[in-house]
Amino acid sequence: MRLGFNFWLGATLTVLVIFAGILAHWIAPFDPVLDADLMNSELPPDATFWFGTDGQGRDVFTRILYGAQISLTVGIVSQVINSIIGVTLGMTAGYWGGWWDDLVNGLTNVMLAIPSLIFALAVMAVLGPGLPSLLIALGLTNWSWTCRIARSSTLSLKSQGYVQAAQTLGYGDLRIMFTQILPNMMGPILVMATLGMGSAVLAEAALSFLGLGIQPPFPSWGSMLTDARQLIQLAPWAALFPGLAIFLSVLGFNLLGDGLRDSLDPHMRTRKP
Amino acid sequence: MLKRLTLAAMLSLGVATGALAAGERHGGTLVFTAPYGSSFATLDVQASPNTQEEFIAQAIHRALYSWDSIQNKPVLELARSEDVSEDGTVHTYHLRDNAIFHNGKPLTADDIIYSYRRIANPKNAFPGASYIAVIKGADDFIAGKAKEISGLKKIDDHTLEITFVGPINPGFSLMQNTTVIYPSDVKDESSFAKTPVGLGAFVFKEHVPGSQVVVEKFDRYYEEGKPYLDRINITLMGEDAARDIAFRNKEIDVSILGPTQYQAYQGEDALKDYLLEVAEVYTRTIGFNPSFEPFKDKRVRQAINYAINTPLIVERLVKNKAYPASGWLPLSSPAFDKDKAPYAFDPDKAKALLAEAGYADGFEFEVTASPNESWGVPIVEAILPMLKKVGITVKPKPVESSALGDAVTSGNFSAYIWSIPSGPDPLNALRCFLSTTPQSACNYSSYANPEFDTLFRAAEQERDPTRQSDLLRQANNIVQDDAPVWFFNYNKAVMAYQPWIHGLVPNATELAVQPYDEIWIDETAPDARR
Amino acid sequence: MLRFTLRRILQVAPTVVVVALLIFVIFSVVPGTFAVSLFADGKRAADPQLIARLNEEFGLNKPLMERFVTYVTDLARFDLGTSFRTRQPVVDLISDRMGASLQLSVAAMVFAIVVGVPLGFLAALRPGSILDTTTMIGAISGLSLPDFWFGLLLMYLFALQLNWLPSFGYGDGSLRNLILPAVTLGVAPLALLARTTRAGVLDVLNADFIRTAHSKGMSEAKVVRWHVSRNALVLIVTTVGLQFGSLIGQAVVIEKLFAWPGIGSLLVDSVAIRDIPVVQGTILVIVLWFLIINTAVDLVYAAIDPRIKQE
Repeated sequence: MRLGFNFWLGATLTVLVIFAGILAHWIAPFDPVLDADLMNSELPPDATFWFGTDGQGRDVFTRILYGAQISLTVGIVSQVINSIIGVTLGMTAGYWGGWWDDLVNGLTNVMLAIPSLIFALAVMAVLGPGLPSLLIALGLTNWSWTCRIARSSTLSLKSQGYVQAAQTLGYGDLRIMFTQILPNMMGPILVMATLGMGSAVLAEAALSFLGLGIQPPFPSWGSMLTDARQLIQLAPWAALFPGLAIFLSVLGFNLLGDGLRDSLDPHMRTRKP
Repeated sequence: MLKRLTLAAMLSLGVATGALAAGERHGGTLVFTAPYGSSFATLDVQASPNTQEEFIAQAIHRALYSWDSIQNKPVLELARSEDVSEDGTVHTYHLRDNAIFHNGKPLTADDIIYSYRRIANPKNAFPGASYIAVIKGADDFIAGKAKEISGLKKIDDHTLEITFVGPINPGFSLMQNTTVIYPSDVKDESSFAKTPVGLGAFVFKEHVPGSQVVVEKFDRYYEEGKPYLDRINITLMGEDAARDIAFRNKEIDVSILGPTQYQAYQGEDALKDYLLEVAEVYTRTIGFNPSFEPFKDKRVRQAINYAINTPLIVERLVKNKAYPASGWLPLSSPAFDKDKAPYAFDPDKAKALLAEAGYADGFEFEVTASPNESWGVPIVEAILPMLKKVGITVKPKPVESSALGDAVTSGNFSAYIWSIPSGPDPLNALRCFLSTTPQSACNYSSYANPEFDTLFRAAEQERDPTRQSDLLRQANNIVQDDAPVWFFNYNKAVMAYQPWIHGLVPNATELAVQPYDEIWIDETAPDARR
Repeated sequence: MLRFTLRRILQVAPTVVVVALLIFVIFSVVPGTFAVSLFADGKRAADPQLIARLNEEFGLNKPLMERFVTYVTDLARFDLGTSFRTRQPVVDLISDRMGASLQLSVAAMVFAIVVGVPLGFLAALRPGSILDTTTMIGAISGLSLPDFWFGLLLMYLFALQLNWLPSFGYGDGSLRNLILPAVTLGVAPLALLARTTRAGVLDVLNADFIRTAHSKGMSEAKVVRWHVSRNALVLIVTTVGLQFGSLIGQAVVIEKLFAWPGIGSLLVDSVAIRDIPVVQGTILVIVLWFLIINTAVDLVYAAIDPRIKQE
């Protein structure tokens, strides 16, 4: 397995984000919420405030470090939910076939037809703004591609010798699915999840912009960016850095996912970036 | 603060009266921006509950009363004079005999009766129905129990007698854009939504959906020599930044400013002399729910008022585009008490009060807040560190704007932050603190104080304006002392205008609503608009 | 072909029905009502009587089942209902906005094609070159941009600093107003197209029949023109079609940022004020649009490559 430059660049960016999130508490110079002195609002970057301050007088650098926690949580949790839903539905549909397969296929078609941002927007409107709602909304939106991949992988794995051998040995369906099929399709699923993390972070920013983000005052990059929009003329740095943070972390996830995909199977293609 | 307000009022008076000497100029096109929403919902302003349709109403329509921004009170508009009965409930209006609708029909008492019936018609569910409810018998009509509004009586074509439910000033209700007068001879009522017909100084010309409404001068307008303008383009621009750019490019003639723009414009020589400011009649507050244990104690509520550095938030976060509140009634209210000191910023006193109340170790509460930049989550974020210093942990509970009203009117909150109308009628504004006013109406913090009730009832019966204001002032001060809310600020509305625009007025009810028939444009305007 | 067409259309129908039901269910449990949202701007005190009257008029007091039946029977007659806010038919509101939405999508797509396809093509002809690497890193960056941040940067640069273009709004519908939102919206499809084109061209270049053509002595230019262009074109057309179908739905944030009067901003505004008939109508139209374009792409594909039908 040869991993290219893209993979390593992606891995570096991702590790940076993870470190920022984990170490925020120790390396951040300020408290992200309580160190808000209105007398220091909208200061440009200097030696004390590396990335300047926002409209509330809070250190943008500190908030970006803490914001990594939210972005990682959003990315990882939503993709875990997505993968669980997608794999469970896709694998069972592919394995059992029949009416269940038709039902799952129909459901997948429905989910693919509704733009994911609009679906997430609707779910957020029902649940109200906040981190738990966001995790649910994003976890429910993007499983259809995973589901399709899981289904097609299952279909091809089902005809493999070792799966048929397991069947003749009288193993139960679930046992076969989890011990024989699932491990053999982890690669593509992992790729989808890594790419999905990027989409989730972008979706968080978009939903924040539409007024349906996470619960302030704890910083998320999306809400920092949205808040700074009003200040674009007075304090452009307050918008520049959170945007950069989103961009670089999503780039990291995407490069990582791409690199993984290329190394797993140079011919594997999905419509989804 | 007050000085600056009156200065602004005088400045604009100067704009209006000084113009007489200079000589108003006829002709030209005004490009007016409507700062709310992204589209006009309907041209049938009687049916519209939205603010942006007020601009259309202002150009095309007239109501029985209108708001006089200089005198700061409602005045007769469609009537030349009125006789009021001894008990103050029966008003006999002598209507203008020279008022003509755009379709050529002269105004008669029938048109007013027709309009009020249409507005109150239960089948229509129009927002103005609650204003018509000040007329005797309207409640039964709205409820579908009566076929007529008994308080409306036509004496002759130009004389109308209206009986009201009490000795109120009906002007506040009957000046609204939702109570404007339509002609009674239009057969197809649905046509009002596409081709409005009114009594105003301007005739409807065209509506470009999602973009603008164009109106043109009405030659037979009832006021001699008016309007001055030939044409007004009322353009929708909900985004602050969009208006900013368009204004700087001189594409639009006026622009309502947001806090950041206000700060920017004040620093620019070319712009800073052309700002019209007014204290609008909205009070921004955090309301406390007395069913939440700590808020039952007056000292806790007062402590919160002492713990927050309100002027600092107004200065830094709201960019001085507000006046720190010293009580419920705003600066421009006739019952405003200029001698009443606001709660000082005094964390030590706050701590002492909390300790007295048994909350020396503080407590935790949530503020239900919308994303609004001037009275929403950002403000809660700003008070968070301040309250933390006296031991109180506050958390914003973000909701969408549309869900805020639900949470507040149903009492489903421990605290909320909102902007609440506190004028122009002080009587109506303080009614929200009457113990008999239900929580779902506007007594959101379930305020009840017998002393207040007595003063308010007395004011309600008082017909002398000075003595009434006096009583209301005392009532207002009781509310301030009881601190059912954190008194944050009164909104300051700011409008930037191009140097060639004259005749704008500091309208405290809504600065963006301007008397279009008074506005004129001088020779320095760009060619296309002269 | 006709049977295939019919089958594809029949496959779409149940999806539409399920989507319609799903959005009905979601928006019947959403908190907040239109009547209450009228008072959200704090300009007027909440008027409980008006709220009750409006809810009554909109039938929001009726039991859920009854509302559901009305909704379904109306839909069956292609009636999307009446807007709470404007009291106009939802269909009218949507058709008013459709033009602006299409304008934006087409412009974004044109931008993506004009820049993305040649880039991908050039990258594929010289795999591993600096141009190839830059293009591919650029493409993946384009897919990683938070779109409203990118829009904000463009706005800051071209409208606020340089004053070249209007920052917001539809204006008189001129090209100047269209450029910034279209570029912002077009970046993601551009990146995707560059990647797809490159991959498609590479595939074809490595295919047997191209090698045969080379061995038959055709010049490289000719090979590219004849075989590569035609075969890669199928892939590009498919990608363009699919992107175009989903672009209207993706434009939500950009329309809101640039105050562009399309379907996306209508949807967001209507969600915010709980104008539920409009919300349901716009989502349905966006979904229908997506499905129609997808089906059309499938049909075109099947016409070009008959093997698809057996799938």
